Amino acid sequence: MKFRYILFISLLGLLFACQPEIKDEFTYSSGNADFSTYVAVGNSLTAGYSNGALYHSSQANSYPSIIAAQMKKAGGGDFVQPVVNSEYGVLPGKLELGYKADCLGNTSMGPVPAQGQPEGYDPVGYTVNNMGVPGAKSFHLLAPGYGNPAGVPVGLANPYFARFATADDATVIGDAVAKNPTFFSLWIGNNDVLGYASSGGIGDTITGQQSYAYYMNLILQSLTSTGAKGVIANLPDISGAPFFNTVPPNGYVLTRQGQADTLNTFLGQYGFSYNVGPNYFIIADATAPLGFRQMVKGELLLLTVPQDSLKCAYWGGFNPNIMAPVPIPDQYVLTLEEIANVNDAIEGYNATIAALAQQYDLALVDINSYFDEIKNGVIYDGVSFSTKYITGNAFSLDGVHLTQQGYALVANQFIMAINGKFGANLPTVSVTNYKANDLP
Amino acid sequence: MRKLSLLALLISFVAASSFAGGYQVRLQGQKQTGIGLIGTPLAFGASSIFYNPGSLSFMPNKADFSIGASGIFSKVVFQAKNSDYQARTDNPMGTPFYFYGAYKITDDLSVGLGVNTPYGSSSVWDDNWDGRYLIQNISLAAIYIQPTIAYKIGDKFGIGAGLDIVSGGVEINKALPDPVNGEFNLKGSTVAFGFNVGVHFRPTEKFNIGVDYRSKINMKVENGDTKFTEIPQSLQPYFPASGNFDATLPLPANLDIGLSYQVTDKLMLAFEFDYVFWGAYDSLIIDFKENNELLADSRSPREYKNSTIFRLGGQYNISDKIIARAGVYYDPTPTNEKYFSPETVSLDQIGWTVGLSFMPVKGLSIDLSYLQLSGKESVKMYEPDNFGGTYKSMAFIPGLGVSYSF
Repeated sequence: MKFRYILFISLLGLLFACQPEIKDEFTYSSGNADFSTYVAVGNSLTAGYSNGALYHSSQANSYPSIIAAQMKKAGGGDFVQPVVNSEYGVLPGKLELGYKADCLGNTSMGPVPAQGQPEGYDPVGYTVNNMGVPGAKSFHLLAPGYGNPAGVPVGLANPYFARFATADDATVIGDAVAKNPTFFSLWIGNNDVLGYASSGGIGDTITGQQSYAYYMNLILQSLTSTGAKGVIANLPDISGAPFFNTVPPNGYVLTRQGQADTLNTFLGQYGFSYNVGPNYFIIADATAPLGFRQMVKGELLLLTVPQDSLKCAYWGGFNPNIMAPVPIPDQYVLTLEEIANVNDAIEGYNATIAALAQQYDLALVDINSYFDEIKNGVIYDGVSFSTKYITGNAFSLDGVHLTQQGYALVANQFIMAINGKFGANLPTVSVTNYKANDLP
Repeated sequence: MRKLSLLALLISFVAASSFAGGYQVRLQGQKQTGIGLIGTPLAFGASSIFYNPGSLSFMPNKADFSIGASGIFSKVVFQAKNSDYQARTDNPMGTPFYFYGAYKITDDLSVGLGVNTPYGSSSVWDDNWDGRYLIQNISLAAIYIQPTIAYKIGDKFGIGAGLDIVSGGVEINKALPDPVNGEFNLKGSTVAFGFNVGVHFRPTEKFNIGVDYRSKINMKVENGDTKFTEIPQSLQPYFPASGNFDATLPLPANLDIGLSYQVTDKLMLAFEFDYVFWGAYDSLIIDFKENNELLADSRSPREYKNSTIFRLGGQYNISDKIIARAGVYYDPTPTNEKYFSPETVSLDQIGWTVGLSFMPVKGLSIDLSYLQLSGKESVKMYEPDNFGGTYKSMAFIPGLGVSYSF
């Protein structure tokens, strides 16, 4: 009887070891592409910049790094990044979520400066595959000396490129070609318009369409000169980012009819109108007859507009002490005209990118359409993504760059475009394995 | 005292790994299990209390007792869409069990009591698997206690009815997605009531027809416990460490119709189909007692559809002391194309069964059964969470039972 019992238990043990196996297993393939030497070229998005900084974990999960790990399963080689060792970053400016008190004494959660020591831009001393350079515009990739450490303090060179430029007069594209890539990715042009947009249309100029097309053609001529195949991404509608959509333009809220009446008495003569509830802020506008006006629907306020000034210094409203309005300065505002300039630029750049993708036989990642999808809300494995600041999961605290989850979403778009164009079969990644914004 | 602790032990083991369509577990008699889980047209004794109370009237002996249990070793593998990511369940062994006792008060009137576990499910995925925001693990158990009465009308008809007193419990663990990034635990139990009625018709000595209906039972958990843990401090006011919920899980009704025919002295063949009213499982609603702007009630659609299980089986008397059994059945998934949740991986399944009864002395039967189930490899999605991929399942279920009659 005891023997029978033992036999029964052993039988159970054997059965327990059996496992169902999926017949239709994933098969890796590089298709007609060759991933043995992959080089990524781009700007901060390519570098893995997040929360206003380039730091260790954000760089480790840059979209090219994610793609390269998947390529490795289909014949890809090592992918070297100019490693940032600290979690604080290369330069000061990293944001994290914390608590701060506003001018009214109310404490709330929001982005605050992170504490730490910037690592600096000493050259790393080796060549790299990730040539994402934060701040780079299209033409910077072709500029000799853009990575010359001597030029950084005087603003003639980029500290991020200085970390891995192979020579004082090196260009990003020159260094990329020197790696002799078999495959490349290119995502450049955001900064050609972002500098303008993020300074309220006054701090920078938009790269002209013909110039952009000319530089992009030169860049692709070089990158394909070694016979490399590649993938190119177009540009998202940057005015859709949380940086431009978090502070409401009609955030001037009145609670009593008396307030509205007073304002209408003083400002009604200029065509301004006030009601109980949300009202449009007053902004500086040199083209308006008075030099200021009320915002209109569709205009945007930047994330950087000082909240305390809105709350306690009458910005955007009426100062009863001096009986005068206090317009929000132009640098924090994108007017309808400025938004149109931004959108026209992106539309033009994207037409160029689409044409060049065809001309150079590249896979094209339609990030523009994909970010429109995110704007409407997408969900993967139970995690929701939107362009909502902080809680939308896709965008980091700087409101322009992505979270690591956001970069994983982008990596999957690249992977699917590469698979589609080159008959490759690279697996996408599980976006839920990457971090979004870390709430305290 | 010893009896009490045994019952406690049984209850703690009851959570059965899900292996039948949805979360139904029909391993409620080893003889029936061996024969393709056919029971409605068969009068095997006290176990008819579950399969067809009407059959109890045809119980061959004055008194009959039956006890048994099965070990469910179920495994599921999942592969994410467009990805090389795979995950496997690490389900504990499920142990559905039964006890039945029946007694003929007169030739026509029989009474009985059954204790069994016709519903249960236990899925354990890794805490960090890709589907963790849908489910990490779930355990669902229900114990039925069924006092039963049966009456024989003439020689050919038996009717029977039982009252089901059901004690059930559920526990769910899942992770909460960013930006919350915490853990959620839900636990509750309840008692509910239902019934089981059946008719057994024996037009000739060789031919049996059985029809059985088990009612739907809504397991309504009131004031169950919720726990939110590992919540960021800034969100703790919205996700309380402890709270309460209401939820209802339906245990669907079944209509079973079966035929059996004694082909020769030694060979009996049987056929059955079970219509399961899975349409009752529309959605899983968790009604949090205290809501706030970040914590709304959750409604997860399931939209199961009614399903029909087809079964074929037979038994052969090898000798006076040994009976061999075999069967096969097809159990199509009741799940909805759009709402396939990894909490209950229910694929189209084919089950093969074998069984053996050994009767060393008159009245005593030692019953062995073995069931092997394979769930068809299928691509499934849970659309509200955009989670899906390829699933495949397997289960190996040995069972052992003893029955005694006099």
